[in-house]
Amino acid sequence: MANDKELSDFLKSAEKRAFKRTAYAVRDEDAALDIVQDSMIRLAEKYADRPVAELPLIFGRILSNATMDWFRRQKVRQAAVQNFSELGSDAEDGDFDLLESLEAVDGSWASQGPPDRLSREQTLAIIDAEVSALPARQREAFLLRYWEELDTAETALVMGCSEGSVKTHCSRAVHALAKALAAKGLKP
Amino acid sequence: MNGPTRSRRVDHDALQARFALRVASRLSEQSEKLPHDLSERLRVAREQAVARARQLRLTQPATATAFQVSQGSVALGQPPSGWLRLASVLPLMLLVLGLVMIQHLHDQAEIHAAAEVDAALLADDLPPEAYGDPGFVIFLKQPEQ
Repeated sequence: MANDKELSDFLKSAEKRAFKRTAYAVRDEDAALDIVQDSMIRLAEKYADRPVAELPLIFGRILSNATMDWFRRQKVRQAAVQNFSELGSDAEDGDFDLLESLEAVDGSWASQGPPDRLSREQTLAIIDAEVSALPARQREAFLLRYWEELDTAETALVMGCSEGSVKTHCSRAVHALAKALAAKGLKP
Repeated sequence: MNGPTRSRRVDHDALQARFALRVASRLSEQSEKLPHDLSERLRVAREQAVARARQLRLTQPATATAFQVSQGSVALGQPPSGWLRLASVLPLMLLVLGLVMIQHLHDQAEIHAAAEVDAALLADDLPPEAYGDPGFVIFLKQPEQ
């Protein structure tokens, strides 16, 4: 059972990522704050007696549900569904050189001085924008799997889909990001 | 045949995870730079949530105690004392005593009524044996002239 300090520590560690994840989805900072706040209260009211280890998964699920509720309330569900339907038309980028992109991302952080390199701040902003531009389900899978560091099964549970779908979403998200970052000039 | 293909697949997955974790770490770095007002609003939201959890923890034991009392155990979070046990049994004892007294008074009233009838019969001019005479019974049933 999580005590007050453990609950507070967990929320403190998760709140900024939760806010960013929600802000990517709803594209409205005030709405994202409201959703995160509601999710925190819901976690505290209904699940504060759960073990600390279970809190990330439960909070992730609450946050996803709260975000979907927001879309329903805003009567823009159609737009969300449209985003989800984009998954079907994603082209496979099997021949894309992921290694080259990885080296690009690594390289852009390796040194910050040269004028011909993008500044660190600019690069962060580009990555932020490209993650934001991903289709909703790909972004959610990517953030849960690699940012929240949930495993594939946990991510599938939070997203309400199969593990195979999670892997597909993640793979497409990574390739889309790699391609987009390369196109923005993040090359060695 | 499968060896190289599988190996390539594993390499690709590892590469994908490595790239994704790199991007995620940059996102973490970016998220740490949230504007002050947003960070403060998140802090307030967190504190409200923790306060709510604390409040619920405090109210839940009181609810549990009330439930236990309603079930008759009168636990109040510790072993029941003799007085509390007596207090829970006293209403039942009073009820039983009341029922016994009502029954007793009822019996007394019946005895009293029977005694009055007997006394009236014995004190009357007509001897009690007359009520056993069939002619006298017919006389009593006749309407008064």
